Amino acid sequence: MVPLENLLVLSAIMFSLGVYGVLARRNAVLILMSVELMLNAVSLNFVAFAAYLDPDKVLGAVFAVFIITVAAAEVGLALAIVIRLFRNRATSNVDEAAIMKW
Amino acid sequence: MGAEEAWLLAAIPAGVFFVLAIFGRALPRGGDYLGVAAILSSFVLFFVVLADFLDTPGKIGPVINDVEWSNIGESFDLRMGIYIDPITITMFAVITTVALMVNIFSIGYMKGEPRYYWFFAVLQLFAASMLMLVMADNLLLVYISWELVGVCSFLLIGFYWEKRSATEAAKKAFVTTRVGDVGLLIGIIMLWKATGTFNIQEIIHLVEEGHVGQTYLFAAVAFVFLGCMGKSAQVPFHVWLPDAMEGPTPVSALIHAATMVVAGVYLTARLLPIFEYADGALLMVTIVGLITALLTGFIALAQTDIKKVLAYSTVGQLGFMFVALGAGQPAVAMFHLMTHAFFKALLFLGSGSVIHATHHNQEMDKLGGLWKKMPITGTTFFIGSLALAGIPPLAGFWSKDEIFVVLNEEWGIWAVALLGLSAVMTAFYTTRLFIRTFMGKPMDQHVHDHTHESGLVMTGPLMFLAFLAVTAGFVVFHGVGKGLGFPGGMTEFIFLPHHGPHKYHFDAAWALASVVMGGTGLLAAGWMYWGNSTAKSTQLAESQPGIYDLLRNKFYFDELYQAAIDRGMLGFSYVVSWFDRYVVNDTGVDGSAQVTGFSGGVLKYLQTGRLPNYAMAVAMGVLALAVVGLVVRG
Repeated sequence: MVPLENLLVLSAIMFSLGVYGVLARRNAVLILMSVELMLNAVSLNFVAFAAYLDPDKVLGAVFAVFIITVAAAEVGLALAIVIRLFRNRATSNVDEAAIMKW
Repeated sequence: MGAEEAWLLAAIPAGVFFVLAIFGRALPRGGDYLGVAAILSSFVLFFVVLADFLDTPGKIGPVINDVEWSNIGESFDLRMGIYIDPITITMFAVITTVALMVNIFSIGYMKGEPRYYWFFAVLQLFAASMLMLVMADNLLLVYISWELVGVCSFLLIGFYWEKRSATEAAKKAFVTTRVGDVGLLIGIIMLWKATGTFNIQEIIHLVEEGHVGQTYLFAAVAFVFLGCMGKSAQVPFHVWLPDAMEGPTPVSALIHAATMVVAGVYLTARLLPIFEYADGALLMVTIVGLITALLTGFIALAQTDIKKVLAYSTVGQLGFMFVALGAGQPAVAMFHLMTHAFFKALLFLGSGSVIHATHHNQEMDKLGGLWKKMPITGTTFFIGSLALAGIPPLAGFWSKDEIFVVLNEEWGIWAVALLGLSAVMTAFYTTRLFIRTFMGKPMDQHVHDHTHESGLVMTGPLMFLAFLAVTAGFVVFHGVGKGLGFPGGMTEFIFLPHHGPHKYHFDAAWALASVVMGGTGLLAAGWMYWGNSTAKSTQLAESQPGIYDLLRNKFYFDELYQAAIDRGMLGFSYVVSWFDRYVVNDTGVDGSAQVTGFSGGVLKYLQTGRLPNYAMAVAMGVLALAVVGLVVRG
C-alpha cells in the first residue's frame, strides 16, 4: 500500500499549484480550473485520511462526494458569469473586469 | 347565595358595560334600561350579601381568597380575593344606593344628549370598578380599581368633549390625581418590600407585630396618603374637583361627591391600623383634613356657580372625614361618608334638576325664586341643605357632631375651633346657595319664565335621597342599628379591633355647640341674602376688595400652579429639549453617523475591484492564520 505521506505530499503539491494558478493567472477560466485543483487536493486529503485511519467507515468518501457536488455547482455558476463577462467585454481577462468597486 | 357571591356585584355592571359599549348604539333607547337593571341587581345582591354577613356573627374577613393571580416560584405568590367587613358593607350600601338613584335620574337628565348609550356604559364601568375597589383584599387590586375609577372620572368629566373647557377639566383631573397615584404606587411597593405581601390584612398584621421600622413605615404611609389626598381632592390637590363639574351633573353627584372622591377616605380607613402604628401619620391626616376644610370653606363663600359651591363643599366635607380618621375613628369617618354621600348626591341631583329645568343655567346671578316653580326639587334641596349645614335631626348633624366629639378627645379644643369655623362657613354658603337659587325674586325673568318642574324620573330619586338625608343619621343609635339587624349603632358596627366597639351616647353640650355653629352660619346667610338680595353682600365685598378677590380667585391656587408649570416645568423642559437637540441628537446620533460616513469614505479606496488583489488577500490571510496557529500551538 502506498504510504500516507506520499498521498499527503501529492495533495500539498496539488493545492500549491492551485493557489499559484489562482494568484498568477489572469484568464478567468484558468483561475476556475486552479480552484478545482485546490478542491481536488482537499478531497484527496479526506479520502486518504479516511482510508488509513478508519477504513471501515466511508466518512471521508462522503465528504469527497460532497465537495465534488458543490464544486460542480460552483463551476456551473462561475462559468455562466464568465460567459456573461465575455459577451459584454469580449475578454475573459479578470484585470479588465475591475468594476466591482465604489 | 351569600357573601361568597359578592363578586357578582361588580361583575354584572362590568358585563353590562361591555354590552352597552359595543351594542349600545344599536339598542333602543341606548340600552339605558340595561344600565339601570345592572345597578338594580347589584343593589339587590347587596342585601343578599348583607343578610349573610349579619346572619353569621363575627363573619369578618375574606370570603374568597384563593384565586391565583400570578405565581413566580416560592418568592412571589400573588393571590386575589374578596374581603368583606363592616367598612366594605357601608361602602356597598352607599355605592349601590347612590348609583341606582343616579342611573334613574340620568334617564331624565341625559335625555336627547349625544352619546347617550356611552354615558350609561361608563356609569356601569364606574360602578363595577368602585365596587371592586372596596372589596379587594390586596393593594394591587385596589390600585387597579383605583385607576379604573380614575379613567371613568376622566371619561365622564370630558363627556362633552366638544367643549374645550370640558376636555381641559378632564385632563386636569387625570393629571392631578395621577400625581397622588404615583405616591400611592410607591407606598404600595414600599409596603410590599417590607412585608412581602400585597394582602391588606397580612400587611396590617405584620406591621402590628413590628416587622417594619418606624421611619420606613411613616414614609410608606405618607406615600399611600398622597394617593388618598389626590383622589379625595385634599389641599393642595383640591384644584381638580371644582373643574370636574364640567361633566354632566349626575356624574358630579355619583363620582365627584358620593363615591369616587371618598375612595381616599375609604383606603385610609382600611389602612388606619398602619397609620396608627406610624408615629405622626394621624397628625398628618388631621392637619391635611383641617386645612382642606377651612380653605375650601372660605373659597366656597365667594363662588356663584351652583355646582362649584357644591364642589368646594364636597372637598370640605372630605376634609371633615379625614379629620375623623386623624382622630383614629374609622366609624365616624365612614358615618360621615355615608350621610354625606346621601345628602350631597341629593344636592347635586337637585342642582341637576335646576340646571335641566333652566336649560343649562347654573349661575346664581341668573336664578332665584325657583321654589314655587319647582316645589319638589326646592323642598328636597332644602332638606339636603339643612343636612349639609348640620341642623338636627337631619343626617349631617349626627355625623358632624360625632366628628367634633372625637376630634376634641384626640387633638383638643383648638382643632375643634378650626373645624367649627369651617362648619359655620358650610352652613353659611349652603344657605346662601339655597336662598339665591330658590327664594326671593328671580334675577333673570326670562330664565324664570321658562322653568318647569322636572319629571318623576328625576324627582323620584330626589325624594328617595331626601328620605335618606333625613333618616341616615339615626343609624348611629344603638336601638336603630339593632332594629335594622345590625349588632348596634354605627360605632358598634365599625371599629378598630384593638379599640373594640363602643356605644354611641348623646352628648347634649356638643350637640348644642354643633347646632350653634350651624345656626350661626345659617342665620348670618339668611340675614345677608334674605329675599335673594345681594345688596349687603356686594357692599361687604366692595368694602374688602382684597379679601374678596382672594376668595373669588380661590386663593390663586390655579394661577400658582400655572406659574409653577410655566416657569419651573417649561424651563426644565427647555433645558431637557436643548440637551436632546444638541447633545443626544446632533452629537450622539448624527455624530456617530458622520464618523461612520467619513471613515467609510476614506476606507473605500481599499476596494480595487480587481479579482487577483482579493485572491491575494485571501491567500495571505490564510497564511497569516496558519503562522499564528503554529506559533500559538508552540
